[in-house]
Amino acid sequence: MAVAVIKTEALTKHYGKVVGVEDLYLEVNEGEVFGFLGPNGAGKTTTIRCLMGLLKPTSGRGEVLGLDTWKQSVSVREKVGYLAGESALYDRLTGEALIRFISRFDNHSESHGLELAERLNLTLDRKVSGYSRGMKQKLAVVLALMKKPPLLMMDEPTNALDPLTQHMLYEILNEYRESGTTIMFSSHNLPEVERICDRVGIIRDGNLVATERMQDLRNMRLRNVEITFAREVPGELGSIPGVSDLEEQAGNRVQLKLKGEIDPLVKMIASYDVADLSAKHASLEDVFFEFYGLEKASGDSAVDGEAPADGDREEGSR
Amino acid sequence: MNWNLVRKTVTDRWKFIAAYAGAMSAWVLMLAAIFPSFQNIKGIQDVFESYPESFTRFFGIDKIDISSFDNLMGIELYGLMIVIIIGSFIIAFARSMVAGEIQDGTIDLLLAQPIQRWKVLTSEGAVLLGGIVSITAATVLSVYAFGAAFGIEGISYRGHAAFMLLAVALFAAIAGYSILLSAVMREPRRVAMAAAGLTLVFYLVHFAAGYNSVMEKIDWFSIFRYYDPMKAVRSGSVPVGDILFLLAFAAVFFSAALVVFQRRDIAV
Repeated sequence: MAVAVIKTEALTKHYGKVVGVEDLYLEVNEGEVFGFLGPNGAGKTTTIRCLMGLLKPTSGRGEVLGLDTWKQSVSVREKVGYLAGESALYDRLTGEALIRFISRFDNHSESHGLELAERLNLTLDRKVSGYSRGMKQKLAVVLALMKKPPLLMMDEPTNALDPLTQHMLYEILNEYRESGTTIMFSSHNLPEVERICDRVGIIRDGNLVATERMQDLRNMRLRNVEITFAREVPGELGSIPGVSDLEEQAGNRVQLKLKGEIDPLVKMIASYDVADLSAKHASLEDVFFEFYGLEKASGDSAVDGEAPADGDREEGSR
Repeated sequence: MNWNLVRKTVTDRWKFIAAYAGAMSAWVLMLAAIFPSFQNIKGIQDVFESYPESFTRFFGIDKIDISSFDNLMGIELYGLMIVIIIGSFIIAFARSMVAGEIQDGTIDLLLAQPIQRWKVLTSEGAVLLGGIVSITAATVLSVYAFGAAFGIEGISYRGHAAFMLLAVALFAAIAGYSILLSAVMREPRRVAMAAAGLTLVFYLVHFAAGYNSVMEKIDWFSIFRYYDPMKAVRSGSVPVGDILFLLAFAAVFFSAALVVFQRRDIAV
């Protein structure tokens, strides 16, 4: 039976009248990699910050490794490696001095931190103020990972990292996972989630909309189909079960999304002259937009967990 | 207290503390250098005595008498200037504690570590208190050193030592509410404005107490009621009652800061 490393029970956080998260029931099991997804302002960072004891729940509770996240937050933090969404570091210290400073809080060796820094090609003899954004993110990752905690909570861990470093980080996270570490992270990067997560939770407007196993999401069989007809586009395409987002384009070409079985569509278009046909499995991003109605990312860089201004989000009326 | 955090705070701040200590020493050096010739200027005592009483009282001077170096220190430094200088040090330090770390975003890194929030404040507060003691001690030791160097006689060593204890207690009181404001507010700029404003209010209440009976009653709550530097210097005796009140004031506000910081949401 799976053991819950993270558990929330009716976790609710309001910022005045504005809802951060509402009545959240979430479980993350031991040893799994759990992706936490949602648009900006959905409540991802608020949830993680409640779990880290940075925010006091308005009601409900959170539990990490059997410890209450507010009342026993120091004990929680002994066992968790945390990477904040917008990592800020002490600029006046060098990378090495910062690793040493952090390592002394729980008396663990800085040697693993130095090894991780070397793997990520991070120069440590320079002051953090001289680091690029990517270098700061690498150092923040090192600081979160270096004590080899049983649980990692990371808010957008690959933010500002180049593709090569992202790949190295995925390898490192995989090693941690294989050694039994549980990993929970929030991300906007759906290909990344698709690549490394076992399960995902989707949050929207402060509510957990769904939790799915990655394998189940892949099995949802959503396809992007493009058909070019030799003559006019048949009118009955839209009536085929599972067809949506039908778009006619120039040159008798049509694009559509198809959920479920492809056979009815194939049988229908077989009676027409088809010049070209392409059917691709939809990406995870398309699955989410289709099934969960998430709006496309606006590019807004606002971070959850910042007490929003009045009017930035709908007031909770649940 | 967390010694790791104390060590880091000292590393970050020692130059800042040293600069203030150096500036105070330089000020005392200047006063010691000019005192012998200042004393000999004919008629200068009469000029000072012609100032309105309210004017001199505003600067914390109860009596203008430049016949001794102790009195000159009281007029030029101990009354108002030292409050402005060391007060600005305290407010600058306190604003960068909680509020400054929230604005910079580094609070997340610090509170992601297994350290109780009260230890964060006591560790950084201890360094602030150490800075206050260092700067005040540098001032008083400079009086001894430069007084001797310039052959100034009649310096009351016990008096200046008593003043030092009183001054540290006053500055601890200022630190207490400055740290509370830093624990409550998000923006360092507002912390500085509020702390400076509150200090000014205390000062003005104490000043007005001499002219208004209502203010005289309110003056019991002003920290400056308990700060009479020249009385300490002239008498040479430690004003225990005043010091205890100021330290109690500091303790109450610092305790409130601990409670507030323990419970507040950290949202960056």
